[in-house]
Amino acid sequence: MSAQEDITRVRVAYAKGPSLRFTGHLDLQRLWERLLRRSGLPIRYSQGFHPRARLNLASALPLGFVSDAELLDFWMDEPRALATIRAKLEDAAPPGLVIKDVRIVDLREDSLQSQMLASEFVVRFFDHQSEEDLQHQVASLLAKDDILRTRRKKTYDLRPLILNLEVITLAEDAIGLAMRLRAEPGATGRPDQVLSALGFSHTQYLVRRTQLILSP
Amino acid sequence: MPLSSENLWRRVQRILPTVVKPGRYVGGELNQVVKPWDSVRTHIALVFPDIYDLGQSNLGLAILYEILNQREDIAAERAFAPWTDMEAALREAEIPLYSLESKRALSDFDILGVSLPYETVYTNFLNILDLGGVPIYSRDRVKDDPLVIAGGQAVYNPEPVAPFVDAFVIGEGEEAIFEVVAAYQAWQDQDGEREALLAALAKLPGVYVPRFYAVDYQPDGTIKGITPTHPDANLPVTKRILAELPPPLTRFLVPNVEIAQERVSVEIMRGCTRGCRFCHAGMVNRPIRERPIQEILDSLRRGLDQTGYDQVSLLSLSSSDYAQIIPLIEGLRQLLCERQVDISLPSLRIESFSDELMDELQSLSPGGGFTLAPEAGTERLRAIINKPLSDGELMDTVRSIFQHGWHAIKLYFMIGLPQETMADVEGIVDLSRAILSEGRRIVGGRARIHVGISTFIPKPHTPFQWVPFEAPESIQAKLDLLHAGFHGAKIKMTWNNPDASLLEAWLARGDRRIADVIYHAWRSGARFDAWREHFNLALWEAAFTRASLDPDFYSTRQRELAETLPWEHINAGIHKSFLMQDYQWSLEGKTRPDCRQKCYACGILANFRELRLAAPDGGWKCP
Repeated sequence: MSAQEDITRVRVAYAKGPSLRFTGHLDLQRLWERLLRRSGLPIRYSQGFHPRARLNLASALPLGFVSDAELLDFWMDEPRALATIRAKLEDAAPPGLVIKDVRIVDLREDSLQSQMLASEFVVRFFDHQSEEDLQHQVASLLAKDDILRTRRKKTYDLRPLILNLEVITLAEDAIGLAMRLRAEPGATGRPDQVLSALGFSHTQYLVRRTQLILSP
Repeated sequence: MPLSSENLWRRVQRILPTVVKPGRYVGGELNQVVKPWDSVRTHIALVFPDIYDLGQSNLGLAILYEILNQREDIAAERAFAPWTDMEAALREAEIPLYSLESKRALSDFDILGVSLPYETVYTNFLNILDLGGVPIYSRDRVKDDPLVIAGGQAVYNPEPVAPFVDAFVIGEGEEAIFEVVAAYQAWQDQDGEREALLAALAKLPGVYVPRFYAVDYQPDGTIKGITPTHPDANLPVTKRILAELPPPLTRFLVPNVEIAQERVSVEIMRGCTRGCRFCHAGMVNRPIRERPIQEILDSLRRGLDQTGYDQVSLLSLSSSDYAQIIPLIEGLRQLLCERQVDISLPSLRIESFSDELMDELQSLSPGGGFTLAPEAGTERLRAIINKPLSDGELMDTVRSIFQHGWHAIKLYFMIGLPQETMADVEGIVDLSRAILSEGRRIVGGRARIHVGISTFIPKPHTPFQWVPFEAPESIQAKLDLLHAGFHGAKIKMTWNNPDASLLEAWLARGDRRIADVIYHAWRSGARFDAWREHFNLALWEAAFTRASLDPDFYSTRQRELAETLPWEHINAGIHKSFLMQDYQWSLEGKTRPDCRQKCYACGILANFRELRLAAPDGGWKCP
């Protein structure tokens, strides 16, 4: 067993690209476990009969989304230079997973999940949208006092989870949406629910997570 | 107008969010091989007609994928059966089935290499052709259509799917596939007719081009003769084998979504000398070829490094017959010390356990369960099927297993075996109960017995190829007896659906006319017949009626020894006279010992005399 002072907590910022769009949250955890095993870094494992790599993903990304800004913590039994960690993670990463930043964080810091405040997303539609219509739809949605939605047989109010929602212009003059949704434990807004409330089906768009906002 | 790859993929992206587990249909995995489409000459789609989750862990497919892609002028890509929701979505959106690498319709490929590992994928195979935009029947394909070749364990009887396949590769395909590609490329250079390609293929050893053979029938429906109609067609078509095992995988593809077997697998030995009379794999995969220990361990280490998996599995028909089993396990233990991995070593023979082996195994994988396959409940029946084992030997092994610290044993038995009586079925109950009480005596209340029951299906190229499949009603009576026998015994029993076995019995020993049945069943919606939730016997019965064929003719009929069997023209390396003698011996209850001690001239050495000279270590454990 390594000395307690050697234990290192590493935070990785990474992008999840189109080829991993349909790798769900549980599969992503397993993907990271394998990636860490392949990296050859001195990964810290849980104790017990079936040891698992200790890792912590900030926030589940719904199936079908891509992201520029995912966060994950893992632990090592011994320290390594940041450049080494980054190089080994990059070597072990599957196509579609791009390591953007690696840093060491304090062992005593709260778990990533409990630091989560909000997520930002950008939506691109597969088909042309009229800016005027979309502006109108957004305005009338935001004007509501409550937006009652049902997911997994539970009814909740989506309205307070929407911190921001606006029509934006994307590359090639395409009209899209940007939104910031609350993402606190027990109060997490889903972009697909907002889009559904606006009248779009999940076959009409691609959602990209652009930022995770943690408590300062 | 064919769909461009970009266009196709754009349309697929829209339907993916509507289906279950869309990650099956996107490719893009670690160690996938994608070559720019126009950079290679020959495009091969390797088709596995079952769901990605199962097909992707198939080692045979992985080996072909690797060796074909090592060639610069070849791109090998993958295609699997879409689940029914995805099939509906593809059809609705008019998107053809595509390869996972380049997202190309199957009809864009030069060659489709189809794996047919078991008979219950036949409807999926037809469905894949249809979804991929390839004509179902070989006779309807024209020059620009892909060449459809098929191989795998099921094609030792190619007849049921003969009209759908342009050419079969019988036996081990690792070398033959390159000969097929060479013939294809030469044909392209000559710009010949499709018939010329098939004629070139028909000449290759181990290749069977069904349209060059005529099958005639007797008035009673049995076969009168199978005759080549082309001067270049082989008769018989002798299976291909390799003198020694091909190198193990060096590049392991790692799926991004959960699949059935997430582990590093290496084949440690091919073939088996035990001669169990029910065992298709044991008969058709002769002779024995062992992989050197160092090669096994190197492959496992490399696989673990590349994949990040935490499980390894050693594949063979009978692991404990591997000559160097103890040193191999020593090596595995070394591996275990280096890394935290689980090791599974399936297919251990009951009588081959020494105390030493037991100690070694316990050190490798402490606790957990132990699997034994006595196959039959009485000594008499075990002699008939040539898996001789006395009750005493079995109980000694069981005692030793419990004494070494295991407390769960899984027992595999078959019902519906030739000459089986109710007393043999009761024997399964008595034996299992005796094993449980032995376990209780040694490890107490922790002792667990799980009994797995499967239905015997007579298979081609085995000594039991002539015997009837037991009628489902009588199978059901045996299952009822087992249920009653285990009632209150704290023994868990699992069994497979006798109706599903019946389908396998029809397809395994069918002739060319059965193709109509498969076609009608597929047209009326049969898919994923190996899957309980999709299997529908009524569809098949209707398909038999539609094809004007009697299902019992194929399943429950005793075949005459003089009868010309539908696979008579396929030589699996074993003499028919040997199979006949072995069948005769089974009727007399006479066993045939392991042939590593004494050669019984099964036919392997006669068929592959020259190849044996190329085999290392004097060749294949044949005396």
